[in-house]
Amino acid sequence: MANDEMSQILGPDEESKALELQDNLRADKYPLKEYNNIGKRGVRRIDGYEKASGYAEYTIDVQLPGMLHMRFFTSPYPHAEIKSMDTSKAEALPGVRAVLRYDDPELPRTANLGGHYDTREPVLPKAAHFQGEEVGAAVAADSEEIAEEALMLIDVEWEERPFILDPEEALQPGAPLVNPEKFPDGNLEDKTVEEHGDMEKGFAEADKVIEFKVTRTANTWAGPERPCGVFRWNGEYPEVWVKQQRPYVAKRVVASWFGGIPMNKIQIHCPYQGASFGGWSQFEWNMGGHYCAAVIARRTGRPVKWKFNRREDFYGGEMDEGVYYFKVGAKNDGTITAVRAKSVMANQQYPFGPITHFVDNTRIPNLYGERLQVRVNKGPTTAVRCEQNPNTLPFSLVFDRVAAELGLDPIEVALKNDGCEGEDMAWLDGYKAAMGFPVRDSLRECVEKGKAAIDWDSKWHASGTKKLSNGKMHGMAFTWTHEWEDSAGSSEMAIRIERNDGTASILSCRSDCGLNAETAYCQVAADELGMRMEDVFYRQQNDPGFFTMSPDSSTNMSVNGFAIRNAARILKRKILEAATTPKGISQRGSYPPAFPDMKPEDLNIKDSVIYVKANPSNRMTLAEFVGPSGPAGPMAVYEFGEGAERTAFTPPLFAHGWQVQMGTYKEHHRPRPRLCRQAHFIEVEVDTETGEVEVKKVVNVNDVGRVVNWEGCEGQQYGGSYMGVGRARSEEVVHDPMTGVMLNGNLLNYKFATMLDIESVDTEFVETGMGYGPYGLLGIGEDVGTVTPGLLIPAIHNATGKWVDELPTTPDRVLKALGKA
Amino acid sequence: MSKEGSTVLERAEAAVPVTEAKVRLTVNGELHELWVKSRWTLQYVLHDKLGLIGAKAFCDRGECGACSVIMDGRPILSCMTLAIECDGKNIETVEGIAKANHPLIEAYVKHSCMQCGFCTPGFVVTAKALLDRNPNATEEEIKEALAGNLCRCGTYPQHPKAVLEAAKKLQGG
Repeated sequence: MANDEMSQILGPDEESKALELQDNLRADKYPLKEYNNIGKRGVRRIDGYEKASGYAEYTIDVQLPGMLHMRFFTSPYPHAEIKSMDTSKAEALPGVRAVLRYDDPELPRTANLGGHYDTREPVLPKAAHFQGEEVGAAVAADSEEIAEEALMLIDVEWEERPFILDPEEALQPGAPLVNPEKFPDGNLEDKTVEEHGDMEKGFAEADKVIEFKVTRTANTWAGPERPCGVFRWNGEYPEVWVKQQRPYVAKRVVASWFGGIPMNKIQIHCPYQGASFGGWSQFEWNMGGHYCAAVIARRTGRPVKWKFNRREDFYGGEMDEGVYYFKVGAKNDGTITAVRAKSVMANQQYPFGPITHFVDNTRIPNLYGERLQVRVNKGPTTAVRCEQNPNTLPFSLVFDRVAAELGLDPIEVALKNDGCEGEDMAWLDGYKAAMGFPVRDSLRECVEKGKAAIDWDSKWHASGTKKLSNGKMHGMAFTWTHEWEDSAGSSEMAIRIERNDGTASILSCRSDCGLNAETAYCQVAADELGMRMEDVFYRQQNDPGFFTMSPDSSTNMSVNGFAIRNAARILKRKILEAATTPKGISQRGSYPPAFPDMKPEDLNIKDSVIYVKANPSNRMTLAEFVGPSGPAGPMAVYEFGEGAERTAFTPPLFAHGWQVQMGTYKEHHRPRPRLCRQAHFIEVEVDTETGEVEVKKVVNVNDVGRVVNWEGCEGQQYGGSYMGVGRARSEEVVHDPMTGVMLNGNLLNYKFATMLDIESVDTEFVETGMGYGPYGLLGIGEDVGTVTPGLLIPAIHNATGKWVDELPTTPDRVLKALGKA
Repeated sequence: MSKEGSTVLERAEAAVPVTEAKVRLTVNGELHELWVKSRWTLQYVLHDKLGLIGAKAFCDRGECGACSVIMDGRPILSCMTLAIECDGKNIETVEGIAKANHPLIEAYVKHSCMQCGFCTPGFVVTAKALLDRNPNATEEEIKEALAGNLCRCGTYPQHPKAVLEAAKKLQGG
């Protein structure tokens, strides 16, 4: 390692450099020059054995001595109010230890029960606004089966109310209110408009104007581990096992209960988590189970576990359900001159309109997007890998529609319109250069890789022109968008060097949803500290009090990556300072430094060994440096009367790193342009007799800036492909229009992709270094599962020449498009 | 409660009363003798009573394979099997497969076959049962065998690679 680099990394101002990186608008100023673990293939994942062997414990697996099992009463109606409730039979059932009712005097009218914001919700609602909603009562018993049985003994007198399932119907004049408790003024909760340029001029310049409508039905996370949790009072102090993507939010929420509980008296555990992809953790009632469990646990003096069943896991879903209308103007060469879009969204949680990605990602000058957020009697929706669904879908649909209608290759149309906020690529290149990024054409690089991987040039064809020998129609589609880099978040993480063996432990509690980010943090820490990978470890499950960014917003690496890197750099400095100053300082004197007459800058660490740069044979392992602890602790006297009186202890080697950044969230104006791109390709075969669409191949190309953990990145790509194809082709939550009852809340009838649903997936990476994260990286957790669904409709059009106008593209909808149903 | 009962459950129980029985289960080579209720599934007994938490309830209704265990040589869904019917059976769980150092485990780690990992044990068990029966399984046969195991994270492409590698190891490769 060159001296100039050491001075860069090991200056005395590590903390100020960390602060300088906050709100990362510019390229990473302080990358490493040598990477030993970052970006290397075959780094063994630290949770691998535990998960493969069945030993990994999830929240739903937790069992405590004396634990009670709690289940919720749920509404049989999509919209109804409890007039009266008789729980006496349930209470009398042997083994039932508590029945908590909506009218219990101890329950507050409302409480903070989680979600994004500091909202207040009833703990046990009296009125249900969707069928299956947890309302009225919770029962805790010695076993789950007794609790279930007790639920059936509860008699309720209901007042049924009219319900609406369709968002456009909910907007009709005179439509009944779907939630008079929360939205007494009407079913339109919010309307947003985003406008750029001159729409009239845009359409006047167009050679062709295309109008179309697409409907997306409801889909959801269907996570393997159902919502659950365990609450125990250790005397006065709560101990909570959460199934949560944001354990720090859970802690903050618990702290607000019962008149306030100090944060330092709350113990949070976040064991392994059977993913829900955002989903559950973001709902405003997601801590409702814990609140009820807390009350019952206190009354009974026993720990309480609450759990949803599989049907109840279909509580809500992804927020892209709605009707989308488009009017697009384009020139014959594929230049898009104007996009007008309107989306009518069912229960959408966040204000993401239909043209957002056009603003962020294109040079299209004239854009108008209108978004209506409408309440219906279905469960709430939120970001399920991820909130960008409502705007990536319009993006894919518009681009592919324009290309098909003009008879152009969709890749040409993409390259022609690539840009940012109405500006072209030359402008964007200027920005890249000004902010210190490499100037590379990310989309072009992604496209070239993807075209080669799927053999685009020889396989792509005009719509409806290629019939295969098996009688099916062959189709290809392409879509693209910008990098996935909400990248907003704040994070704290810390690293401690252990006594005795000098290994490093990463300290922070976060939700492991399986992205292998935990291994990636170890890779970053190992490379930054100069340690061997096997000497760095991270177990994310217990709370040391830091607010570590959750996996939300694809920030595992772009925010936490900075936090852990900052911690490692500060710690490395501390280690080398400790190595050059006296050890074991006490009133009785001190021991000489491990490396006498040296300055920190004279030393380096590699392979967990501290060495003198000018003379690498002068070396000491980190284990030797920290030394063995005495029998009474690391800093204590250990040999009374034996001459040697004290250990040559080092000071505690611990560093705390942090990162705070706005990312791309800043009202509706992006604080920074998007530089990286992604491109996705699909090859399908459509059976025009049955309407079945077979997915032969998916190719995902992502400019991730820089890969830290290969297997983790690849996993997000192919994993996202399966989720994306499932969402587009078969995933659909179906409600009975007559009763409002959900009909398929199970994994047989809610069909997500199996191993056989895609014949092959090819994952490709481009590493331009243009990401805003450390080392030029960016996040990849959400995008593939979000962008891939946009491929199915254009692929079916390329195969058959017909547009399916509703997602998912189930056989009946394909046949309808073909005029056969 | 009246004898006839007023709920569906009560009526069902009046017709088929809850009973208990002592069963002897050999689990991962160890004999367990325990009283089980007639309603208890094998998954419940393994998971809650014997602490073998690798048998996971994902779908909880025989739709996903996450609770798979091997019973008398066949992979079965433990959430769809009543423990009371398993008297005298020989059961192998993922923990047993790991304890025996089966090469599937390390192959699964190496190929990063898990993400959240909730469904992973079910895949390992199903793959083990396949290799027991068919040590030379082809990629197609592996896909066929594992097609009933659901993974929401979409780890699917990795499993055939790991199973093929484990098969090779088992044959001394």
